[in-house]
Amino acid sequence: MALKKSGSKYDIFTKIALVLVVAIIFFLIVLPLINILIFSTQPTGSVIVRNALSDEVTRQILWNTMKMGLSVAFLGTLLGFLMAYTQARVDFKGKKILHIINLIPIISPPFAFATAIIVLFGRSGIITRGIFDWRPTLYGYPGLVLVLSLSFFPIAYMNLLGMLRSLDPALDEAGSSLGANKLRVFRTVTLPLLIPGFAGSFLLLFIESIADLANPLIIGGSYTVLASRAYMAINGDYDIPMAAGYSFLLLLPALLVFLVQRYWAQRKNVVSVTGKPSGRSTPVTSPIARFFLLSVTFLLTTLILMVYATVLLGAFVRIIGVENSFTLEHFRFLLGGFANAAVKTTTILALIATPLAGIFGMLIAWLVIRKVRRGGEALDFLGMLGIAVPGTVIGIGYAITYNDPVKVAGVTIFPQVAGGAAILGGAIAIVMVYVIRSSPAGQRSGISLLQQIDPSIEEASASLGAAGGRTFRLVTLPLISGAFLSGLMYAFAHSMTTLSPIIFLVTPDISILTQKILAEADQGRYGNVFALCCMLIVLIMIIGGLINLLVRRFQVSTDRPLVTGR
Amino acid sequence: MTKTTGKLELRNLTKEFGNGNEKVVAVNELSLTINPGEFVTLLGPSGCGKTTALRMVAGFESPTSGQVLLDGEDLSALTPDRRPMGMVFQSYALFPHMTVFDNVAYGLKVKKFSTAQIKKEVNEILDSMNLAHLTNRAPNQLSGGQQQRVALARAMVVKPKVLLFDEPLSNLDAKLRAQMRIEIRTIQRRLGITSIFVTHDQDEAMSLSDRIVVMRNAVVEQSGTPEEIYRRPSSVFVADFIGRSNFLAVSEVKKSNNGAVTVEASGVRLDVNAHPQALKSTHPHLLVRPESISVKKSGTANENRKANEGIVKSVVFYGNHVEYSIDTPHQTISAVVSDPVYDDIVPVGAVAKINFDESRAWLLPSDSAVITTEE
Repeated sequence: MALKKSGSKYDIFTKIALVLVVAIIFFLIVLPLINILIFSTQPTGSVIVRNALSDEVTRQILWNTMKMGLSVAFLGTLLGFLMAYTQARVDFKGKKILHIINLIPIISPPFAFATAIIVLFGRSGIITRGIFDWRPTLYGYPGLVLVLSLSFFPIAYMNLLGMLRSLDPALDEAGSSLGANKLRVFRTVTLPLLIPGFAGSFLLLFIESIADLANPLIIGGSYTVLASRAYMAINGDYDIPMAAGYSFLLLLPALLVFLVQRYWAQRKNVVSVTGKPSGRSTPVTSPIARFFLLSVTFLLTTLILMVYATVLLGAFVRIIGVENSFTLEHFRFLLGGFANAAVKTTTILALIATPLAGIFGMLIAWLVIRKVRRGGEALDFLGMLGIAVPGTVIGIGYAITYNDPVKVAGVTIFPQVAGGAAILGGAIAIVMVYVIRSSPAGQRSGISLLQQIDPSIEEASASLGAAGGRTFRLVTLPLISGAFLSGLMYAFAHSMTTLSPIIFLVTPDISILTQKILAEADQGRYGNVFALCCMLIVLIMIIGGLINLLVRRFQVSTDRPLVTGR
Repeated sequence: MTKTTGKLELRNLTKEFGNGNEKVVAVNELSLTINPGEFVTLLGPSGCGKTTALRMVAGFESPTSGQVLLDGEDLSALTPDRRPMGMVFQSYALFPHMTVFDNVAYGLKVKKFSTAQIKKEVNEILDSMNLAHLTNRAPNQLSGGQQQRVALARAMVVKPKVLLFDEPLSNLDAKLRAQMRIEIRTIQRRLGITSIFVTHDQDEAMSLSDRIVVMRNAVVEQSGTPEEIYRRPSSVFVADFIGRSNFLAVSEVKKSNNGAVTVEASGVRLDVNAHPQALKSTHPHLLVRPESISVKKSGTANENRKANEGIVKSVVFYGNHVEYSIDTPHQTISAVVSDPVYDDIVPVGAVAKINFDESRAWLLPSDSAVITTEE
């Protein structure tokens, strides 16, 4: 008579969603990674992997990569912390503007920083040579660390700012009331509580910097790192197994650090932060501390603004710093045929990918938090792979996997989607990359939002007769539309500015803006680079704004009463 | 009021969480039959399995084994949205993006009622619950009590066969809680909906229920009317959980001829009512509720042969009653004297005469929980 059942029942909507999500993750990220592993066992690839530590050249590349990663992680976290602490605990005018300036680098085109820094501080830099008559060598380690730290510090900034704001001010007050002075409270209470935030930021910056391809290509000079070496294996040696071998070496530390960050740093996070702040923290009043913090803030902000001023001015003058006469020549060249197709294609593909990435990320978040009991952790991890795996590795994996139809026992289970001979000239592979790279951001914000929404709200809907899909549409989706919106904005901006995976997938028919920027930067035509960056930024702002309006309208329509009251 | 539908049966309902060594049995072989229109409370400390049991009835948890039957029909295969039940949640779970009206209309809309019908039904129930003026408010603009009433209206407007309450009053302040108790009971009686109410608050259980099911460690400890549970508890645990208690050690338990039992407690012989198991128990306890004990100043004329004396350790004056803690040679006794006379309150340190009517005492079998009750 007794009914034996283990686990919980999934309704039909959940089952379909689960199967769909797992299939998508498999084709968009898991299969390309499997192929990287397979190819890296082939002769020229396995040589790289096997002799990674004994071969002098490979060892040097590994060391370069680690040194750069650690330096950027340290410097970026430090800058992020100083900016976050100033933002959270120092009172001064212009705070909000400063906050926005700090966030700009997150969505800037990949070459804006590297090229502008070269123009400003390079051997013939406007500032270094023009003002101080100093000719430093920027190419290589110092330039890379400077540019990458400036590009990625906002990640640490946001992370630590969130933590600082969620720290209960009563903790600081308790410290003071027990007789500790401000500095001691800072040292013994604030800093220890932020340790998980420091660790998390450090690890994230490490992953981001070793994964970066654009900057090592432009400003790396002879300082070769794994990402640029893998790129060279494809574009110089034309040796795919060798590229797979370097990809494998890059994938290993990236995934390892990602796992550590996820399971160690995040766990500590939960323990130490108390959640509900009970008041407003007292601002820093010590003149020395204020002077120090505000000086650092001022310098960094000035630097960021100078970079963008250089990009903007550089787009409208002949050769910035050399021939400063106004011209529209760069735009005339670009829009006269060089970049027209790229602007159109990039925008269309990013626009196609954006809603797909948004819905996909949200669906994973919902399944992980609400539906999947066993294996939720694993699903969450798989969904995050798109951001954990370096773009270079994804690009090479796609090139290996999708330049031919995927066959199992002679039967095609997935068509050829990459390369010039593929349908739509390889555009599908690029959209796939955009989706898997952008959905993790939506997934993260969806998860944190769903964790805050009482699950009994959805249960209430179910007990009133609404089945799974209906509850998701009528209750869950409207509640998480805020995260959905920010996920969409990010997905679009990220797609428009992504380079490292795309560079392996462009074809004669499908050219992408970021790849055009790389080509021009490579040729040293910085005027064109700056003009392209400007176009990219304007495109992101216009279309991002439109997406914002569109989603807002959609949001209002779900907010409208289901049935009008009296 | 007597309805013919809404008979709910739980048969050997069991829920295990985890597996292997970490397996936890949350509900163990719970069997219960609830008659149409009956109001049953699942009462117990946190972690006793009462909420898990309720969630299995609602369909939010699938039982490891066992069945839930409604009017003889097995519900096991049905997801929550297909069970004719309404649920009121501890956190109310109002949809924050909808107005009061839309919250209440939600279930009707899902059931595809016509717009006019929805409007009529919703406005009717909002009127009857004094919520008419809040129709277009958002949930976050309501007070706790108002949110609670909207949640109740939302669950009832779809005319469920069974109403489930998951500690719905625990977020309200004491006065509001008392008021909502009366409201819930009145509405439930009027509509005659079979109801299960989960709580850890014995006052709530006593004032609401036709029947109380006391749960402990995943199993039912006792099931009965509030009077039975309070006056005739089956174990020390139940006695202690449902109210305050004194447990007197007894000796020389003998069956007397009138069906009662004769015991000797603190050197006094008493004829008391006893639980059937009490006679078989090696160390039975005599339950005397604090309010059954009278406290008088020593030296007052009191010729009762069963009088006992002790020194007053503490006196707490609450206005309508006084609570004493009195050390006797055998144990510490708590006593509650209601409507105390000003001059009769015995001060701390004075000797008090304590006394109780043997018809108010109840002999219980011993039970391991006795130690934990002495807080």
